[in-house]
Amino acid sequence: MTLASAALLALVLGLLAYDVATIRGKRGRYLLVEAAAFLVGGFFIAFPERATAIAHLVGIGRGVDFFLYPIVIWLVRESLLSRRRRLEDAERLTQAVRALAVAEARAVEAREPRDR
Amino acid sequence: MAVAVLMPVFDEVAALRRTLAGLRDVAAELGGVTVFLVDDGSEIPVAPDALPPPTPSFRIVVARHGVNLGQGAAIETARQIALADGDFAAYVTMDSDGQHGAEDAVALARAVEGGADVAFGNRFLGGSRVPFVRAIVLAAARTFERHLTGLRLADAHNGLRAFSRRALERVPIRQNRMAHATEIKQRVARAGPLAVVEVPVTVRYTAETLAKGQSSLGAVVILRDLAQQYLFGEAE
Repeated sequence: MTLASAALLALVLGLLAYDVATIRGKRGRYLLVEAAAFLVGGFFIAFPERATAIAHLVGIGRGVDFFLYPIVIWLVRESLLSRRRRLEDAERLTQAVRALAVAEARAVEAREPRDR
Repeated sequence: MAVAVLMPVFDEVAALRRTLAGLRDVAAELGGVTVFLVDDGSEIPVAPDALPPPTPSFRIVVARHGVNLGQGAAIETARQIALADGDFAAYVTMDSDGQHGAEDAVALARAVEGGADVAFGNRFLGGSRVPFVRAIVLAAARTFERHLTGLRLADAHNGLRAFSRRALERVPIRQNRMAHATEIKQRVARAGPLAVVEVPVTVRYTAETLAKGQSSLGAVVILRDLAQQYLFGEAE
């Protein structure tokens, strides 16, 4: 194992440990997905020749490219989808805030002159 | 017939009161003025008691956004309330931060009463002393908007405008922040045959209004918001 592989594995393990320690409860189920992804990633970091063998099998030169291409495609798509979701959420918030503002709109009323 | 003024406000009560006092002074001349004031989530809510009381020709309707959404969102809220409130001879949009004066609201309303559907304020024909950097940014914005909308207007992103009812009904605003100014022109251009004019107005640039107002770098945010609306907004 090279120094780079060891450093990357340490990073992966460190991230996973940190996430497990800081995220708990029902909302942390996605950690299982993260752990599975990191396990696969860790395997190919430790044994890069396996990744290269698979890449060659499907006509891609380097093992790392075999992972990079789909990851970049996925990240671009995910980024666009999350931006769209954020805009949709902002629109819903706007509609809710506006509905309340419209319902509670009031005319300023005349005031009694103040006693001195 | 009376005139409606659509006015957003955000944390600027002193300037707001001056602006409202100016409108109250011209209200009778306009046959009545109703200000649809939308407090866009000011940290200290605008208290109705702090506003000028109504007169026979002047009234204020106040609404409040529970959170700050942006100037475009506040104008849209005011637009919806004003359209539901009744018929007005003209619907004027203007800022509350002291940049815009009541005399220009009168001129814009008169243009609509005279037959225009939409009257856009033009600060380059009035007495505005536009700061150099702002003038350059506005020139770029004007060129951009001309390409985008096809409307041959001399000013860009000027909050002083007036609409007839039929025009205002066709200009719903989806852009919550500053890109609404470009969106309004897009919608006017697409709304079919509307009579569009430009009216000389004066935008007052003071240290206070420049500090409070939109920075020239806001142009980047506006472009981003327009691109997002184009990419992710509902198809029309």
